[in-house]
Amino acid sequence: MKPVALWIAAAAALYAASDDSFLIRGAAVYPVAAPGIENASLLVLDGRVAEVGAKVAAPRGVRVIDGKGLRVYPGMIDSATEVGISEIGAVGVTNDVRELGDFKPQLRAGIAVNPSSEHIPVIRANGITAAMAIPDGGVIAGQASLMRLDGWTWEEMAVKLDAALHLNFPTITTRRFPAGAAPFSEAKRDYERRLKQLDEYLEQARRYRTAKKAGGPDFRTDLHFEAMLPVLEGKVPLMVSAVREREIKAALEWAEKQKLRLVLSEVRKPGAMLAELKAKQIPVILGPTQDLPLDHDDPYDAAFTLPAELYKAGVKFAFGSFGNQFSRNLPYQAATAVAFGLPYDEGLKSVTLYPAGIWGVSAEMGSIEKGKWADLMVTDGDPLEVRTQVRRLFIKGKEVDLESKHTRLYKRYLARP
Amino acid sequence: MTKLPWAALAAGITLAAAPPIVIQNARVLTVTRGAFTGAVIVKDGKIAEAAEKVMIPPGARVIDAGGQYLMPGIIDCHSHIAADSINEGAASVSSMVGIEDVLNPDDISIYRALAGGVTTANILHGSANSIGGKCTVIKTRWGKDADGLKFEGAMPGIKFALGENPKRQGMDDGPAGSRRNLRYPGTRMGVEDVIREAFTEAKAYQARWKEYEAGKARGETLIPPRRDLKLEPLVEVLEGKRFVHAHCYRADEILMLLRVADEFGFKIRTLQHVLEGYKVAREIAAHGAGASTFSDWWSYKVEAYDAIPYNAAIMVRKGVLVSLNSDSGELMRRLNTEAAKTMKYGGLTETEALSLITINPAKQLKIDDRVGSIEVGKDADLVLFDKHPLSSYAKVQKVFIDGVVYFDRDKDLSERRLLELNKRKLLEKEKQSAPQQKKQDRRPQ
Amino acid sequence: MKYRVLALACSALLLSAGETVAEVPSVIAIRGARIVTVSGPVIARGAVILRDGLIEAVGDAQPPPGAWIIDGEGLTVYPGLLDALSTLGLPDTPSLNGTGRPNATRPQGAPPAVPRGPEDRPLNTSYLRAADELSPTDRRLEAARNAGFTGAVTFPTQGVFAGLGAVIDLAGKRPGQMVVQSPAGLYLTTHSGGFGSGYPSSLMGVIAYIRQIYLDAGQYKTAKAIYAAHPKGLKRPGYDKWLEGVLEAPRVLLPARDPKEMERMLRLGEELNLKVLLYGLAEGFRAPEILKNRNAQVLVNLRWPEKPRAADPEAEETLRDLETRDLAPSTPAALVKAGVKFAFYAGALEKPSDVAPAIRRAMNAGLSHDNAVRALTLNVAELYGVSDRLGSVEKGKIANLVVTRGDLFRDKTEVKYVFVDGIKYEPAAEAPAPAPEVTR
Repeated sequence: MKPVALWIAAAAALYAASDDSFLIRGAAVYPVAAPGIENASLLVLDGRVAEVGAKVAAPRGVRVIDGKGLRVYPGMIDSATEVGISEIGAVGVTNDVRELGDFKPQLRAGIAVNPSSEHIPVIRANGITAAMAIPDGGVIAGQASLMRLDGWTWEEMAVKLDAALHLNFPTITTRRFPAGAAPFSEAKRDYERRLKQLDEYLEQARRYRTAKKAGGPDFRTDLHFEAMLPVLEGKVPLMVSAVREREIKAALEWAEKQKLRLVLSEVRKPGAMLAELKAKQIPVILGPTQDLPLDHDDPYDAAFTLPAELYKAGVKFAFGSFGNQFSRNLPYQAATAVAFGLPYDEGLKSVTLYPAGIWGVSAEMGSIEKGKWADLMVTDGDPLEVRTQVRRLFIKGKEVDLESKHTRLYKRYLARP
Repeated sequence: MTKLPWAALAAGITLAAAPPIVIQNARVLTVTRGAFTGAVIVKDGKIAEAAEKVMIPPGARVIDAGGQYLMPGIIDCHSHIAADSINEGAASVSSMVGIEDVLNPDDISIYRALAGGVTTANILHGSANSIGGKCTVIKTRWGKDADGLKFEGAMPGIKFALGENPKRQGMDDGPAGSRRNLRYPGTRMGVEDVIREAFTEAKAYQARWKEYEAGKARGETLIPPRRDLKLEPLVEVLEGKRFVHAHCYRADEILMLLRVADEFGFKIRTLQHVLEGYKVAREIAAHGAGASTFSDWWSYKVEAYDAIPYNAAIMVRKGVLVSLNSDSGELMRRLNTEAAKTMKYGGLTETEALSLITINPAKQLKIDDRVGSIEVGKDADLVLFDKHPLSSYAKVQKVFIDGVVYFDRDKDLSERRLLELNKRKLLEKEKQSAPQQKKQDRRPQ
Repeated sequence: MKYRVLALACSALLLSAGETVAEVPSVIAIRGARIVTVSGPVIARGAVILRDGLIEAVGDAQPPPGAWIIDGEGLTVYPGLLDALSTLGLPDTPSLNGTGRPNATRPQGAPPAVPRGPEDRPLNTSYLRAADELSPTDRRLEAARNAGFTGAVTFPTQGVFAGLGAVIDLAGKRPGQMVVQSPAGLYLTTHSGGFGSGYPSSLMGVIAYIRQIYLDAGQYKTAKAIYAAHPKGLKRPGYDKWLEGVLEAPRVLLPARDPKEMERMLRLGEELNLKVLLYGLAEGFRAPEILKNRNAQVLVNLRWPEKPRAADPEAEETLRDLETRDLAPSTPAALVKAGVKFAFYAGALEKPSDVAPAIRRAMNAGLSHDNAVRALTLNVAELYGVSDRLGSVEKGKIANLVVTRGDLFRDKTEVKYVFVDGIKYEPAAEAPAPAPEVTR
C-alpha cells in the first residue's frame, strides 16, 4: 500500500472506532443553563445529550468514561474568528477573508473554511467547539458562518452557513492616510454618501423581492439580492460593527428605519445607547475585551469593565476573539470580565449559552441539556482559569483528538537529544 | 491616573526621608526564597526585611494587605512604550540611534503597564534593521521626567533583528519595477553579511583609534579619526560593555547569529521572541544566551508558523535562561497570566512560571542584584495582587517602585470622576470664550 | 497698499527709482511724546531725535535746527518690534506654521536618492544664508510694519539643518541694506523625512544625526587646523560645505513644545556644547523651572494652540490638550516668575495683526505690559546679541521705532508711524477693511 492510502486507512479506522454514545460517570457537570451537579453522570446517545443526573444507568454496550476529578462543560463558542479562512496573517495567499467589492451578500465564509487548517486543532484543544467565521471588507462583506471545529469537510463542520450577514456600517472617518486628517465636513459628506449607497442597495433588494413575488416574464435571478431576502425577512441578522455611541446610534436608527435585525459587534463606548440596546434587545459581540482603552483618558480598565457594564444594563452579549491566533484564549476574555465585575456565571454563559442564542442555535448547542448535541469539554478545573487543562473534548458526541501542530512539535523537540 | 504635578518631580529626593513602610498580612511570593504569609518592611526605597514575623519600626506606615498576594515587580524584557520613536528604518545598521534620546515620560502606556504590575521594562528599538538602535532599561516611574525613568546603572543594550523584518525592505517580491528604493539585505544570507560586515568595520575602527592614541602618545602630529556613532556601540559590544538583544524567529537564523557572535568574540545577551528557540535550545544554552519569548503567539507570519506555546517550557527544561515578554503595550498589562500559560503548556511550576517575568528577565538585563525577587537589600519594587498572580482573576491593587506607591487602584477609581469634571469644566470654558475670540478676529484690520 | 511711505520734504525724489537713504531728511524729531525706552524708565513727555538712521537723543533734547518735526502729543514711542523667529523677507520660504512634512530639500553634490546615513548629509542646507536670499519686495514686510514691527530674525526653515538666519530691518531699498547681523543662528528642526524617505526617518534618527554632524564639525575644524599648520605628510581633509554653516553659527535654535522636549533639547545642547535658543514652548507653563535650572533662553511662539479647525466635534480630546489650550498663554508669565529670559516670535501666526490679540491673552494670563513689550524688543535683541544696536529707544541705536496712539497691544490702539533705519512709514489713512467673512 502506498503511504497516503495507509494514512487514510488509519484515520478512517480511528473514526470508525470512535463512538458518539457514552456515559461520563463521577464528574462535576456544569450544564450552564442549570446549576452544576457534583459527582454526576452524563449520558450521551447518538451524539446528543440523553440524560444528566446523580444516577444515570449506562445502557448496555455504551462506553463508560471515568470522570473522577474532572468537570464537564458545554464546549465554548467563539463569536468572531477567521478560523479556516486565514492561515498565516502576513501571507496574503493564505487569507480568504476580504473579497473585492463593496456589496457582496452572496459570499459565504463557510464554504472557504479549510478543514485542514492547523488552527482548528489548536483552538479546540482549549475547549472551543464552534466558531463564527466572519468575512470582512467592503460594506456588505458576506455571510458569516457558524462552524463546528470538527469534520472532514466544511459541509460537515457547518452549523449554519448564514448565521449572520456582516455589514461594515459607514462611519465618519476623518483619519486619512497618509495625509493625516480630513475636515469633518468632508468626512461627514463622505459618510452620508456611503449611507445613501447602502440605503439604495436595500431599496433595490426590496424591489427585487417585489418583482420576484410578482414573477413577471422579465424577472431574472440575481444572486446578490437573493442573498438579501432572508435578511429583509429578519431570518438572518446583520452583524454590524459599531464602536462608539454615535455609530451605534446611527446603526440602530438605520436598522429601525430599514426594519432589520441587528447583532452589534466591536462595541467599545456605547454611552447612552446602553438603555436602547436593552430596550430593543439587540445583542452585542464583545471583544477583544483585553484591549487597551480606546481613548487616552479612558480608565485603564475600560475594556475589562465593559462586559460588567453591559450586564448591569441588561444587554445580552457574547465574546469573540476577532482573529485566529488568540481564539484559544477566549475563556480568558471572560475571566478578565469576571475579575472586573461580571458575575462568574454570566462569564461562562457568554462563551456558551449566549452565543448559541445570538446565532439562533440554542436548541442545538450552548448548554448541556437533553436533546442538544453533546459538544462538551472535560477539564480538570475552572475553564476560565489559565492553568486549567482541557482533558477531553467531544463534538456531536464524538471524542476529538487534542493533538495539534503544537503538541506534535512539542513532543518531537522535547525529545531532541 | 493623574500625574504628579511637574513641580513635584523632585519628589524622589524627599522620599529618602519618608517613613518606613510595613506591608503586613500578605502572602509573599519571593520567587527566589519561597512563599510565606507575613510582612515586608521597606526602608529608604529598599526591602529591609521580609519575614513571617517582624517588628514594626517606630513611625512606620503600616499597610494591611488583608491576605492578598505580594510579588516582586514584573519585568518586561521587550517593550516599546515610553518612546517617541521606535524604528530608524532607513539604514541597514542604525546603531547610531538610541531610545534614550527619545524617552517619553508622558506616554500613558507607562501608567497602564504599572496598572498591570510592571515596574521595569527594557525599551527596545524596532526590528527593521539587521543591527538596530540602542536600548534603555526603565522603571515605570509615572510622573517622573525622562531621566527619572531610567534604571540607573543598568547595562545599555542594542537591538539586532533577523529574518523577515530586517529583510522586508530588501525583498523584490512584487511585479517588476514595483519596488523602488530597495534596501539591502533582502535575504537571511544578507542579514548575516550585514552583521559580519558591521563588526569587521567596527574592529577596523577600534584599531584606527588605538593607532591614533599610540601615535599621539609618541608625540606625532596626527589628525584624529572621525568619531563614528554607528560603530561606537558595536565596539562596546566587542568590549562587553553593551548587551545584544536580538529579535529572531527561526532556528537557522538563531544558530547563525550565535556563530557570528562566536566568530567576533562577543556574546548574545538575549534572543528576543526566539519562537523556534525550542528547536535549538541546546545551542542557545551552550552559548549562554538568554531567551525572551511570547507565551502563545503564533501564525501571524511564516517564521511564526512553527511557534508553539511550549517554547518557554522546553527551553527552561534544556537549561536556557528564559523570560516572557510583551512587545505590546496591551499584553504588558497581563504578563502574570502569560506566565501562567507556561504551567498549562509544558508544566512549569508556580515558581518557575513567576521567574519568567521577574528574576529571569532581571538576570538577562543584569539587574538581578537590584530587582526581580523579594529579598532584603533589593529595591522595593513590589506588586500587590488581590488573588494569586497566576490566576486569571488576579487584579493589581498597588504597585511600589523604590518603596513609593506609583499605582493604587482605589486612588485610580476615586480620581476618575475628577478627571471627567476637569475636562468638562475646560470644555465649557473654551466654549464660552470662543465667540468672543471670533468677534475679535472679525474686526476690521 | 495699506502703507505708504511719507516722503516728507522730498517725497517725489524718495519714490523715484535709484533713490538713496541719504536724500531723506536726515534729522527727524518727535516732540512731546510719551517714550517707552524699555532699557530705562518711561519718559512721560519728551523728544526722540533721529539722525542718519540712528537715534541721536532721547528725553528733553531740543530738536536741532532744520529737523523735520513730528508732533508727538498724545502718542507713545516704543522701540520697533522685533520678531524673534520668522521668514520675513524670504518670500519663497515656507512659513513656520505649516505642520506638514518639510520638503526633503537635498543638498547639492548629488547624494544618493535615498540617504542611508549621516554621511549622505540629508536634510542639511546649513550653508543657506537668509541674508543672501532676502527680498525687500516681500509683501509681508509691509503687513508686519503695519503691526509695529521694524525688524525680525529670519531663517530658512526647510530640513533638519535648515540654514543660517539673519537679524534684519523690515525695509530697505536693496537686500543688503536690510541686514543688521548675519549669521544670527542656525535653525534646526526635528522633522524627519518620514517613513520611506531615507535616513533619518525618525525622531531618534534626527537626534543621532544632529549629534553626528556636530561631532563631524568638531573633527573637521580640528583636522583643518592641524593640516593648516602641518600640511606636509598629512592626509588633506576634504571640504564639507554642510559643516561650514554649522561651524559658523553663533547659536542654534532647537524646537521644544513641552517639558519632555525642553529637557531633551537642552540636554542635547549641553552635550554638544551649543549655545541654544529653544523655540515653541506652548507647554512651557508646565515646568518653567526646567528652563531656569538649565539656564535656558527661549523663544515663545505667539500662536497659542487652538482647537483643531474642522475636527470632528465629537472626537475625544485629552485633558492635557484642553489644559494646554487653556494655559499656554500663561507660559510667558510663568517664565517671568521663574526668571527665564524669553522673547516672542510671530513667525507662526497667520498675519502680523494676530500679534496684539495673542499678547492680550498672555497679559490676561498674568504677563505685564512692560514684559510683553520687552519680549518683543530688547529681549529679542539681547538673545541674538544685537542689543547694542537694537531693541530700545537709546542714544546711538538704530532708529527703529513704533509710534502709537494708545498702549501697544490694546484692542483700539492705532499704529501711527513706524521708523525703520530712520525712515518713516505710516499706515495708509484709509486702509481698506478686509471683506467680512460672514455677512450678518
